[in-house]
Amino acid sequence: MLTDAEMLRYSRHLLLEDVGELGQKDLKKGKVLIIGMGGLGSPAALYLAAAGVGSLVIADFDCLEVSNLQRQIAYATGDIGGDKVALMKHRLEALNPEIRVRSINREMDREQLLMELMMVNLVLDCTDNMASRQMINAACVEAKVPLIVGAAIRFEGQLMFFDHSQPDAACYHCLFPDSEEQTLNCSNSGVLGPVVGTIGTMQALEAIKHITGLPSGIKNKLKLFDGKTLEWQTFAINKDANCSVCGNKK
Amino acid sequence: MKIDINEQSIEIDEKSNIEQLLVRLDSPLKGSAIAVNQKIISRSEWAHYQLKENDQVSLFQAIAGG
Repeated sequence: MLTDAEMLRYSRHLLLEDVGELGQKDLKKGKVLIIGMGGLGSPAALYLAAAGVGSLVIADFDCLEVSNLQRQIAYATGDIGGDKVALMKHRLEALNPEIRVRSINREMDREQLLMELMMVNLVLDCTDNMASRQMINAACVEAKVPLIVGAAIRFEGQLMFFDHSQPDAACYHCLFPDSEEQTLNCSNSGVLGPVVGTIGTMQALEAIKHITGLPSGIKNKLKLFDGKTLEWQTFAINKDANCSVCGNKK
Repeated sequence: MKIDINEQSIEIDEKSNIEQLLVRLDSPLKGSAIAVNQKIISRSEWAHYQLKENDQVSLFQAIAGG
């Protein structure tokens, strides 16, 4: 049951035929792990908290730096030097006291991550490096937990949804099998705030759709966003039978 | 034969595979992803995936930023 306060707070959801009271109850029961509280995690966490996802687990181990503020819109100048997860937990609880927020202020290893995955229905990869992305993917494959991956650099964004609860799900490793850090990141290439914000917002949108049982158009797909033209390209990703993470040869 | 790569038309040898295309383009294999006609081709298939005339090839890099 939704309380009167919740009916009021989520009235714009309740007006939507595709969400309604049932969808709002699903959101209330939703348990999402968001890893990375930077440019992707900022809008993703804010939107999921605002939407009433009942249980959010947020993970990061960085302190807020002044150079983060150009894109990490959950934070303020006075927050510099503070732990991101502590700042974000405070921000989310202030935004929506109806939800529960738990923070993890350390770099998780595989075992810790697998433990956390037992307690959630969905993971958002909002990290900023390849090693974390590969580890999160492998753990989600193993635990059969759906994973929504976002990434952004310069004017470009990438968005993927691997529903590891389904046997035909491809995985991040099928697409990008390299774990070495030859890839581009925000600190070596730069990024525009609204570009990374767009991708984080899309991760939140897909998360809400997944939790409320709406079909996703992007499962086993890669969406590429071009911030200069505002064009999206879509590519199908087939499960790679030879993938060392999700394939037959693992 | 002619193919399009990232919306630019180029001429390549008949029966080129993806690995040969990347060598020809002097593009790093690592960190790259390739789609042919909007379908991602897994790395494990690159050496024997033969390109055809007028294929639309998209080549892009993994990005890790966030």
